[in-house]
Amino acid sequence: MLDLALLAFVAMFLALGIKRPFIWVLAYIYVDAVAPQKIGWSLIQLLPLSLITFIAAFGGWIFLDRKQGSRFTLRQGLIGVLLLYCAYTTTIADFPVEALAKWDWVWKALLFAMFMPLTLRTKLRLEATALIMVLALGTIVINGGIKTALGGGGYGTLALLVRENAGLYEGSILSTAAVSTIPLALWLARHGTIFKPDWRVWTFVAGLVFATLLIPIGEAARTGLVCAGFLALLMLRSAKRRFLYAGLGALALALAVPFLPQSFLARMGTITEHSEDESASTRVAVWMWTLDYAKDHPFGGGFDAYRSNSFTYRMPKVTGTPPNTSVTYETVTDKARAYHSSYFEMLGEQGWPGLFLWLWLQLLGVWQMERIRWRFRRTEEGTASWQWGLATALQQAQLTYLLGAAFVGIAYQPYIFMLIGLQCGLWSYVRRTAHEAPKARFRRPDGGEAVPTPG
Amino acid sequence: MVDILSLAVTHGLMAIALWRLLSRDDLGRDPGEAALPARPWLRAPVAEPDDEA
Repeated sequence: MLDLALLAFVAMFLALGIKRPFIWVLAYIYVDAVAPQKIGWSLIQLLPLSLITFIAAFGGWIFLDRKQGSRFTLRQGLIGVLLLYCAYTTTIADFPVEALAKWDWVWKALLFAMFMPLTLRTKLRLEATALIMVLALGTIVINGGIKTALGGGGYGTLALLVRENAGLYEGSILSTAAVSTIPLALWLARHGTIFKPDWRVWTFVAGLVFATLLIPIGEAARTGLVCAGFLALLMLRSAKRRFLYAGLGALALALAVPFLPQSFLARMGTITEHSEDESASTRVAVWMWTLDYAKDHPFGGGFDAYRSNSFTYRMPKVTGTPPNTSVTYETVTDKARAYHSSYFEMLGEQGWPGLFLWLWLQLLGVWQMERIRWRFRRTEEGTASWQWGLATALQQAQLTYLLGAAFVGIAYQPYIFMLIGLQCGLWSYVRRTAHEAPKARFRRPDGGEAVPTPG
Repeated sequence: MVDILSLAVTHGLMAIALWRLLSRDDLGRDPGEAALPARPWLRAPVAEPDDEA
């Protein structure tokens, strides 16, 4: 029954695309984020939904969609160069079989991120993309939020819609992606035209944000908690009533702490005690190993190069209850430990050139969003304009991701690359509609001031 | 049950959103876009001040 319902939904998505080919782009975003083929049990698992929607999105744009207004931006070029470089390192990878397995999904994520902005020619398309991204991720988040509220959480035990712990269904990745999406959901609630702002929209978004904040609790993901705190600080920067906002936030936190599960509080307490925590200790060890590895392999070791790491270290272990505690040191050996950081993931797999490209791509996005904010703050609408709001939301989302990425290996996460695609689309849209056109319509009479001329 | 509920809520909203997109003219072009010249890189002819007077 669930299979049929999901199949019918995907079929509806594809059918509506016949009238509006852009909907196929949204269909790919939906399939990539929710992975309905993994939720179902029978027929839907046999269909290559990702491939079907991928071909439909590209084919629809090439053969059926208008191209007027489509621009290829510098950041899309950077994604293209990164894609080619990843292809090169895959051919020289330390672990060719594993590298090919990762390349199989990475190239699609990068290619789609490069392609997506070409289709985002109108404000409504930017909004529709943001909406489908939020609702697609919301499918997982609402599910996890309700289960956490009902007491089904725990580190690595929160059962989401699928029986695998990968991609957006992995706890730390989901926490980071979900918290990063909060600003986008709030922007939709303020500026949406598909669902116009009213009490129903705000109620749903409030529930979604609450469910998002429950995910780090349900997954006991420390990264999610750090990201949530960081996002709250970022939002203070753009809030009109900062003191009221900060006060309400502190009050909500103080009220929430007594209701948090003890296991969650205990795990969060290890954030500042990394030397006693195996998970955190091995991260630091892997990062040191990656720095050494990059000295010998400055151009990277290809995907999954971490598999060659192995290290032994002594970890302090505290036993007993205060004041009668004793510290013993245990020797721990770890092999093939994952990077647990996107920065070191890029360094180990793509070397210094790959890390440089990736950082350039990310930081350029932060800068471009700041440019849009700066530009629209000075307009008549000011901070009430949808462009300022979207640029702010996308900047907050990216900065939150960049913090979470320090502790999770999500350098190529498709959902995050879609956020980058959305940024490229907004940047291209703003340059086309708010910069070039007015400039072309001004002329300067001899010795006089610039005057607008009728278009 | 929770799975069905979360799927129903978000997929229902996505279906409504897609349905509304079908009838939106501004999905293909922005409202002001039609007024732009077909070749925006060419300046529109400018009337001289004397002509306007």
